[in-house]
Amino acid sequence: MKKVATPEYDIKDKLKYHVSALSTAAKEVVLPLNITTHYPRERKKMPDCFRGYILFDPERCISCFECSFVCPANAIWMKEAPSGRYYPTLDYGKCIFCHFCVDTCPGGALKQTKIHDVAYKDMDEMFTLTEEMIEPPEIIREDEGYVEYEIDKEDLSLKRTKGIDKLIVDVAPSQGVPMVSLCVEPESCLGCGICEGMCESGAVSSLKEDGMVRMKIDVDKCTGCGLCVKECSMQILRLVRK
Amino acid sequence: MIDINAIISTMMNNQVNIPLLQPLIEPLLGMPVIGYLIAFILWKPFFVLILIPGFATMGIMLLILPWIERKMVARMQWRVGPREISPRTRGIVQLLADTLRFLFQEVIIHKDAHKLYFLQFPFLYFIPVLLPLLFINAGTAGNPLVPIQTDYALQIMVALISLMPVFILGVGWASNNRFAFIGTVREAFLYFAYEIPFIVIVLAMIVLYGTSNTVGVVNAQSGVWWGIIQNPLAALTFFIAMVMATARLPFEIPEADQEVSFGPFVEYSGIAFGLAYVMGYEKMYVLSAMMTMLFLGGGSGPEILGLGDLSCGIWFVLKTLIVLVIMVNLRGVYPRYRLDQGLRIGWGAMLILALVALGWSIVVMGVRL
Repeated sequence: MKKVATPEYDIKDKLKYHVSALSTAAKEVVLPLNITTHYPRERKKMPDCFRGYILFDPERCISCFECSFVCPANAIWMKEAPSGRYYPTLDYGKCIFCHFCVDTCPGGALKQTKIHDVAYKDMDEMFTLTEEMIEPPEIIREDEGYVEYEIDKEDLSLKRTKGIDKLIVDVAPSQGVPMVSLCVEPESCLGCGICEGMCESGAVSSLKEDGMVRMKIDVDKCTGCGLCVKECSMQILRLVRK
Repeated sequence: MIDINAIISTMMNNQVNIPLLQPLIEPLLGMPVIGYLIAFILWKPFFVLILIPGFATMGIMLLILPWIERKMVARMQWRVGPREISPRTRGIVQLLADTLRFLFQEVIIHKDAHKLYFLQFPFLYFIPVLLPLLFINAGTAGNPLVPIQTDYALQIMVALISLMPVFILGVGWASNNRFAFIGTVREAFLYFAYEIPFIVIVLAMIVLYGTSNTVGVVNAQSGVWWGIIQNPLAALTFFIAMVMATARLPFEIPEADQEVSFGPFVEYSGIAFGLAYVMGYEKMYVLSAMMTMLFLGGGSGPEILGLGDLSCGIWFVLKTLIVLVIMVNLRGVYPRYRLDQGLRIGWGAMLILALVALGWSIVVMGVRL
């Protein structure tokens, strides 16, 4: 076993270290480095993948409920719109900003921004409805520049740039892999019609043949949301590549 | 019957000489009531004790020194320091804002505290702080600026400075709190550790200068032969004792924020805390003034044209400020010692250094004779 002992210094070493500490302090007083961001007047430049306020694009949403299923904090709740489709609402009182919802969205309807300083008056206001998620919140910008930290060989330094940093990023949302729902064992189908009821886009239709009910999936209409796959009572539906 | 003319003539014979302001003062002295007032203000003992480098200067120092400390330590640590209040002046009015905040905060005296002593001691602390200023000589060799001349000045100063920790012990005892108790006991331990080297150092300087009269002390440091050159070891030990006596880092053992949360002052709030907070700075000012007088040649320096006696005062305050700034900036350099390490330094290295400095003084005196 190796025993760790206090290092032993003689008086020469001690004096050397005292002088070194004091001279470093004196140097920093005269020519200091600075790593403070004066926040309202300047902002730290965040990377484009910063996990901030989440925006929502209803055009791209296929109502697959994936964001709601994956949310570890149960912050996303699907709400029925007047059109009968379901869209996400987000409770920022619960959200932990993991952005699993953004990553998992197959249609790229949820989008990350660099906004990280939103204020609410009370807890009820933190519950953000779908229509409030479409437009970014109103931000009063006082900043005239942004800062970036740079690490060179020895020290951390601060680079100040004039100009306003864009908070809404122009990153193309992921298209995902186009998927369709497929029945792998049509002979086991009970004809219960759950999949038809679940389908938001009307891709599943039922046919009556010889007193039996047959389900038919229209590949062109299917958005690949996978809701019927989750709900099928016989577990005979699969999502496959288009 | 008080003879007012005799009093006025006593004052007039001992006036501060400021050639630049003389044309302004002459007509004022001729006026009936204002003349007496001006004569009183410019009377040397009053001027030195109350204006420069006395009470008024100390008050200004108390307002700007914590700001200088915060600002410089912030620079060392790559921060900015106080800024939001008056950003154009770099936040110099921060301490005024703090004082206002203290004034409007409720002073809470908890149930178990000794109410009388708890409120009294921060105020009474001004007595041992202000009385040593009576003997401070801010003048130069041959031109003393001292309120009271006595052959026992240094001894009285040391006695009064030794009285200061008693008030802190009183504060801690009256607080009746476990942290205050621990802090008080630590203060008592350190008190003995630094007090003996401190007294030995003052003794060494008395031996070196051959007098304990503060006028003689400054006279003995004529030219560039300041005390720090005559006996550098004594100056170093005095400085360390000073840092220890005011409980600054690295000897911030009694007040250690992280361990005993400001030690003896833990129960204070509001303006009572404000007073308790400046106690340390008051003591720092008195000790720095004493160091300037003993080791840095008092008010000696190249004379600023036309200011006469005021020039000495300005040099004295500048030197005191430099000592103070070095002292407060140790906060950004050193970590805190443990109590046992502090005691070992006090009773070991510092006592030995003090005794060596005393021997140095005796040898120098012997060579001179």
